[in-house]
Amino acid sequence: MLDAHAIVLSPFETLVLNLSLLAVVAWSIWKAEKSLDSGSDLTILALITIFAITGRILLEPLPNVQPVTVVVLLVGIHYGATRSIGVAAIIAISSNLVMGHGIWTFYQALGWSLVGVTGALLSQSLRVDDKISVPRVAGVSFVVAFAFDWVVSASVLHTLPLETLPVYILAGLPFDLVHGVGNIAFAAWMAEPISDIMSRHSTSREVVVRPVKSSS
Amino acid sequence: MSDRFRLGSTVLLVVVLLLLPFIRDSVNEEVARFVSDSESSHAGLPTEWDENQVICIYFPAEYPHPVYSSGVSMIDAEGSIIGVNNDLNLTGACVGGFEGYTDGMNFMMDATRVAGGHLAVGYSVNPNWGEFVHTIGGLNDQEIQGDFNGAYWSLTHNGRYSVVGIGSLVMEEGDVISWNIETW
Repeated sequence: MLDAHAIVLSPFETLVLNLSLLAVVAWSIWKAEKSLDSGSDLTILALITIFAITGRILLEPLPNVQPVTVVVLLVGIHYGATRSIGVAAIIAISSNLVMGHGIWTFYQALGWSLVGVTGALLSQSLRVDDKISVPRVAGVSFVVAFAFDWVVSASVLHTLPLETLPVYILAGLPFDLVHGVGNIAFAAWMAEPISDIMSRHSTSREVVVRPVKSSS
Repeated sequence: MSDRFRLGSTVLLVVVLLLLPFIRDSVNEEVARFVSDSESSHAGLPTEWDENQVICIYFPAEYPHPVYSSGVSMIDAEGSIIGVNNDLNLTGACVGGFEGYTDGMNFMMDATRVAGGHLAVGYSVNPNWGEFVHTIGGLNDQEIQGDFNGAYWSLTHNGRYSVVGIGSLVMEEGDVISWNIETW
């Protein structure tokens, strides 16, 4: 939620403002990475995590459209399951400080962890000729959107009886669809640049994509 | 390739976002079919309401309503109390005798208005998830204290937990919705 003090912003104006803020964050992280020594994988992990948290909060005006799922998937592909689980949990907890913390935080952390593990397991198949395959990442990110949402939907079993779950999931399908299509768009825009950055700072243990020659 | 993919996926996202309200409405109509059993949900209500739409508000024992604190008061569409059911082991009020409503929020606002402010509804609107009811009849769910994390107004549709919020609820003839406090 964004309070514009005395100025009342329409939802569309709020969205434009938020998208501009997110563009500034993405641009500054993109620039900052250029001056990092190669092998700064933990710094990159921190910057990417902050980008995902910021993105999720700033894109709140759009229902279920956020960069977290694609980011966690890419972290899983490049840095492996363990780190993606840490990133997934930190993103869920941190962004929910703003968006609302509750029992669903656990399920969101779990859901995104599973997305990261999926990325780690599929890391070999999600690249073509040592380079990340954007269409494949987009395809997987569409599918895991539904899986993630259903994991989070399972949290209603704390309050609703089991037989309600199918209807609850049915009612959520339009939002799952938006999540999936949003993921495709994020993959189209972010998979390559984020993948390049992570490759330049990949751990020696888990080199997936051949490092691109640094311009500096 | 990648530029076309970026442009195409962005356009697709905008289209899906613009169509979302229509997709959601048609899915919610499907959802409404799963909760169309409305016969047993009229139990304990005046029989003349059997074919009509009814809303009930039940208050927790620790936080009774200042007026409807003994049994469940039955209020007709004109605002007159036509009876009190003391056998339900609940306290609160039901307002019934309505027909023709399809939009849950419209129905709730019109029906509670009949009680002349005693059942006034307070809600906030989240741009993503729609209307969120926090206060009914002066009881704000944030004020409820006890041995639990939090409390909220929970919506029941024909005797079952509603899987959608009141703002997305599609109603049919003879439907009964009710609100009671749940904790987590």
